[in-house]
Amino acid sequence: MNLSSNEVMTYVTAILFALLVHGIVIGLMSLNWEESVRSYTELKPYYIEAAIVAENPYKAKEERAVDQEKSRRDKKLRERRKTEARLRQEQVNWARQQRLKTDVKPAEPAVLPEPTPVVEEAGETEVDPESVRSEFADELAEALTREANARKAVTDDEKAMAYVAQIRREIVQNWSRPPSARNGMEVLLRVLLIPTGEVVDVKVEDSSGNGAFDRSAVLAVTKARRFVVPTDSQRFERDFREFTVLFRPDDLRL
Amino acid sequence: MNEPLSILDLVLNASVVVQVVMGLLILASLTSWVMIFQRGFALSSIHRQATDFESEFWSGKDLGELYVELDTENSDVIGLESIFASGFKEFSRSGQQDGADQERVMQNVQRAMRVALVREEERLETHLPFLATVGSTSPYVGLFGTVWGIMNSFRGLATVNQASLSVVAPGISEALVATAIGLFAAIPAVIAYNRYAAYVEVIMNRFEAFSDEFSSILDRASHQR
Repeated sequence: MNLSSNEVMTYVTAILFALLVHGIVIGLMSLNWEESVRSYTELKPYYIEAAIVAENPYKAKEERAVDQEKSRRDKKLRERRKTEARLRQEQVNWARQQRLKTDVKPAEPAVLPEPTPVVEEAGETEVDPESVRSEFADELAEALTREANARKAVTDDEKAMAYVAQIRREIVQNWSRPPSARNGMEVLLRVLLIPTGEVVDVKVEDSSGNGAFDRSAVLAVTKARRFVVPTDSQRFERDFREFTVLFRPDDLRL
Repeated sequence: MNEPLSILDLVLNASVVVQVVMGLLILASLTSWVMIFQRGFALSSIHRQATDFESEFWSGKDLGELYVELDTENSDVIGLESIFASGFKEFSRSGQQDGADQERVMQNVQRAMRVALVREEERLETHLPFLATVGSTSPYVGLFGTVWGIMNSFRGLATVNQASLSVVAPGISEALVATAIGLFAAIPAVIAYNRYAAYVEVIMNRFEAFSDEFSSILDRASHQR
């Protein structure tokens, strides 16, 4: 097809017009684009954060056992000091109360095997820091020798503590407090176990005065039905055959 | 990401396939707009010329004079004028021969005008198939680019640990630009194609009517002779 000059002119103008149209469209788009996007960037998304709040206590124990002796010593010292401070605080609060002969713990329901060192200290209300320190030094030496014997072995005390913590956790899980529960209420239970860890008897040793509260505590233990106890029968007889549990709703507002 | 993505960033960061698709579509859009404007100018000028010529034709001017005027005025005769010129040329040429059969002369004239008509129709319809093609295929081409881009951005999502919207969003956004360009190219092309096809039809009807009228005039003239 041969093009006349007239037609060439139409093509040239058409090309110019087409370029103009595209230029206008792209310009408008990029202008509006920025504005429309900017209005959206103001929106901030919100996140629901999830974090691990509890870890396996046994795993922690093992890790700690494998840890270097220095960190171990530090930890022990810290634990000791904490217990000491706690006991002192308790002294102020309840030293005059009749319950002193049994074990007392400031946390929620406290499970304490009577012959453990903690309880021993609870018995002697006045603790000389010096004697504690020397006692601790002895124990440290003992622990070091034990560690030399079996590097990865967890100490008996720690084991017992782990069992106690486990029992406490189970009871807390099963405990549903009645609406009439108030801060300052305390009920002491005596729990009887058989070597498989099953609960055979729960007795109210010291009532709170509120029947519903006492019942809820008894129910919490009976609902747990079975606790994890050491397989070592000697240990079981010594610490876990019979123990007391103190229930105190510390975290309540009323 | 505080910086808003500009449309240029989206195009530049797109994958090669998507970029090729976008380039093709922009080219198609540019070309189709060139066609649209060119056809618009050409068709309206032909229409105007036909109107002018018809008014001149029916003004009672001598047809021979009109023909000479056309022939000398410009070498390229288009539209209605070319139909008139080819018909008149054939008539005068056949009529010059001695003992020419009138019926044969008229047949030749009509054939010549039909040929001119076909040529004119061809000229009117240039570029219209291109517009039709762009109108019907560029959405698909754009869709292909989009699908490809989204495919890629989701594939990238597979390697990310935490799948969030901000990982896939830019990829999808840049992929969707391809569809947008495809539609931008297609819509005017389809509209222009439909409009110009109807316009060509109108002009062709006019040409046909004129050629019929003109052949009847020539027929009458040859009988008078």
